[in-house]
Amino acid sequence: MLATLATLTALALGAPQQTDTTLPVRSGARLEVENFGGEIAVKTWSRSAVRVTASHSSRDRIEIGASDAGLHVKAEGHRGPPHVVDYEITVPAWMALNLSGVYTDINVEGAQGEITAETVHGAVKVSGGSGNVSLKSVQGAVTLEKARGRIDLYSVNEEIKASDVSGDLTAETVNGDITLRQIESSNAEANTVNGDITYDGTIRDGGRYRFSTHDGSLRVSVPEKANVAVSVSTFNGEFNSCFPVQLTGKAKHRFNFTIGSGSARLELESFDGDIKICPPGAVAKEE
Amino acid sequence: MSDAWTERLSEYIDRILPEGECVALEAHLEACASCRATLDELRRVVARARALDDRPPATDLWPGIATGIGLAPGAHPVVSLVQRRARRRFAFTVPELAAAAIALAILSGGAAWLVLRGSKAVPVATTATPAPMPMLVNAGAPGTNARYAAAVADLERALEQGRGRLDTATVRVIEKNLSIIDRAIREAQSALAADPGNAYLNLHLAEQMRRKLELLRRANALAGARS
Repeated sequence: MLATLATLTALALGAPQQTDTTLPVRSGARLEVENFGGEIAVKTWSRSAVRVTASHSSRDRIEIGASDAGLHVKAEGHRGPPHVVDYEITVPAWMALNLSGVYTDINVEGAQGEITAETVHGAVKVSGGSGNVSLKSVQGAVTLEKARGRIDLYSVNEEIKASDVSGDLTAETVNGDITLRQIESSNAEANTVNGDITYDGTIRDGGRYRFSTHDGSLRVSVPEKANVAVSVSTFNGEFNSCFPVQLTGKAKHRFNFTIGSGSARLELESFDGDIKICPPGAVAKEE
Repeated sequence: MSDAWTERLSEYIDRILPEGECVALEAHLEACASCRATLDELRRVVARARALDDRPPATDLWPGIATGIGLAPGAHPVVSLVQRRARRRFAFTVPELAAAAIALAILSGGAAWLVLRGSKAVPVATTATPAPMPMLVNAGAPGTNARYAAAVADLERALEQGRGRLDTATVRVIEKNLSIIDRAIREAQSALAADPGNAYLNLHLAEQMRRKLELLRRANALAGARS
């Protein structure tokens, strides 16, 4: 019975097949990968070439289009959409990446160029990237480390994590925590509706920082010697600081205080949660 | 927001605040982070409003209108839109700022929906009998309610038509997150009802409403991408 079922399944899905192709690429080329379901895993090497290995059904065909702009990789089903395809792609570290999927996990390791990664059901995990780095998932966690540039992280129903990141940073989810650590930024913004936000990073002179949640707590690092004007707003939460601050401009649900010259701006908002500031390294989320 | 200067920020941006008061306001801004925050918000809204594409109409409609109402087309010269645009000011109070933020979100959400509609007709789903999407009732700042509700309803209608192209897991996630945002909107509305002049609550409500439009817009984009 089991053997019959396995045979029928194999007939329906086709036998497993491996595609393995290596193509040369010019400097500045971009890699685009579309994958309806499965995984896109990208790693880097020092060669000016792209190697595409794909595990897929024999009923599907892997198409690699090459142009001056770069490579475009996708699968075509024999009839209808392709089945699950697991890509493992090796690219030059400088190569810009544009990766997209639906039921797809996306993993990138060691890239140094621009990265756009977008999926619907699946996690996005990236190590590396510079310039514009945009990672999005509807139903999946988004994780970024070791990137610099203009960073845009978005999820709907999962958490967002970033660490060892520098540059302008935006992180937004609806239902999930946002954890930002080892951040070097003059412009950082994070907001969620139902989740906690943790920011452990720089507060630079002249910088602008905004962290906002509806139903969750905020933990934000503020060096005692920072030059920052802080605005705190909470409807139903409490404010705590690891060091003494002198409140000014106190109004209902909102108050301010200034540390040093106040040249940076920090806005902290939680409708229904507590807000806490501590020196860098001391804002670890209490489990 | 009980600060007496808050209501003058709009005049300050428009450079119509008397010079003496400008100096006093700037001194006040040095010490008041809350007013600086509000000023920044105002400037952001103004910048976004100015960035909107404001093209002149492709065809001059006035001659036809003039003929239609029995006037000679040349008898009543049309005011130059270019000159009027050059004189245009964007002035907001704090509650208006919240409304403006929502209005801009409506514009961007509506534009995205129009692009979707324009590029591809949305066929009526035939594969499922969908449950109604959550509908926001009585949301928004005064004067914005109707437009916001209409924008939400438009996007929900489009999503309703396109949801047959979305798998049930995606629909579930979108509905769950819309309900989370709706709850946040209701809580913000309730708080605002008790404290209508509160700038934080105004802006917080506007932010949640923007999020709802944004999520609906993204859901429609997903449905459009799968057709």
